[in-house]
Amino acid sequence: MSLTFYFAIVGTNDSPLYEDRHLNQFIAHAALDLVDDAQFMSNSCYLKTVDRYNEWNVSAYVTPTNVRLMLLHENKAEDSIKGFFTDCHELYLKTLLNPFYEPNAPIQAQAFDTKVHALARKYLL
Amino acid sequence: MASGWTELPDDNEVLEQVYVKLENIGFRVGRRLAERYAPVGRRLTDTLDVVKFVCKDMWMVLFNRQVDNLKTNHRGIYVLQDNKFKWFLRMSSNHGGAAAARRAQPYTWLPCGIIRGVLDSFGVNAVVSPETLGLPQCTFQIKVVANE
Repeated sequence: MSLTFYFAIVGTNDSPLYEDRHLNQFIAHAALDLVDDAQFMSNSCYLKTVDRYNEWNVSAYVTPTNVRLMLLHENKAEDSIKGFFTDCHELYLKTLLNPFYEPNAPIQAQAFDTKVHALARKYLL
Repeated sequence: MASGWTELPDDNEVLEQVYVKLENIGFRVGRRLAERYAPVGRRLTDTLDVVKFVCKDMWMVLFNRQVDNLKTNHRGIYVLQDNKFKWFLRMSSNHGGAAAARRAQPYTWLPCGIIRGVLDSFGVNAVVSPETLGLPQCTFQIKVVANE
């Protein structure tokens, strides 16, 4: 069982809007406090590596309206992660512009899932 | 809706329902606009920064111009004054000043909701009320509700 990465979008009330595999959810959740601390240090959206747990690194990207994108990974290049986060943010924006999507609701569209996987293949594998 | 009226309905209840609907639509639009146009480079930490963002960037996106005047009492009240509100520029009425301003009121409700939506997505809880003293001028008063 080789999990190369785990990706989650966490909404403004700390509930996950989208996640890829459930096993590492608690590691990502535990890192949320560190994300909150780090976001006030930095002025940009991309926060780089926020936490380390055994062999996993947690990287985070915070959007201006406090939606957090979290990625668990085993040492990937920072530039490709930044590109992945930026593209995922744009994908999230498109989902948000859909008037039928309620902000902070779970994202369940199959198309969203497919596109995230395509981005992951492009940037992370 | 409003374009089908020759006069504003006298019934306050109907007006109230229209207000609630328009304001809520504006709120939803405002939240999405905020995420879409929020500056990626710098973070908006202060409430004043968020209001300035509304005055400059949001107004530019919506109406292609900026708010003319921003006043604040530094204790949670902000007044945005637009002297040439875009949606009022082509309005004129036979009945003159005050009546015309009253008929134009429903057009201010959507921007009120948009402002409230933008503020809310940055964590600022507020109540927005419009005021029209004379076309084409329009004022929006933001009252920040402290929630701690």
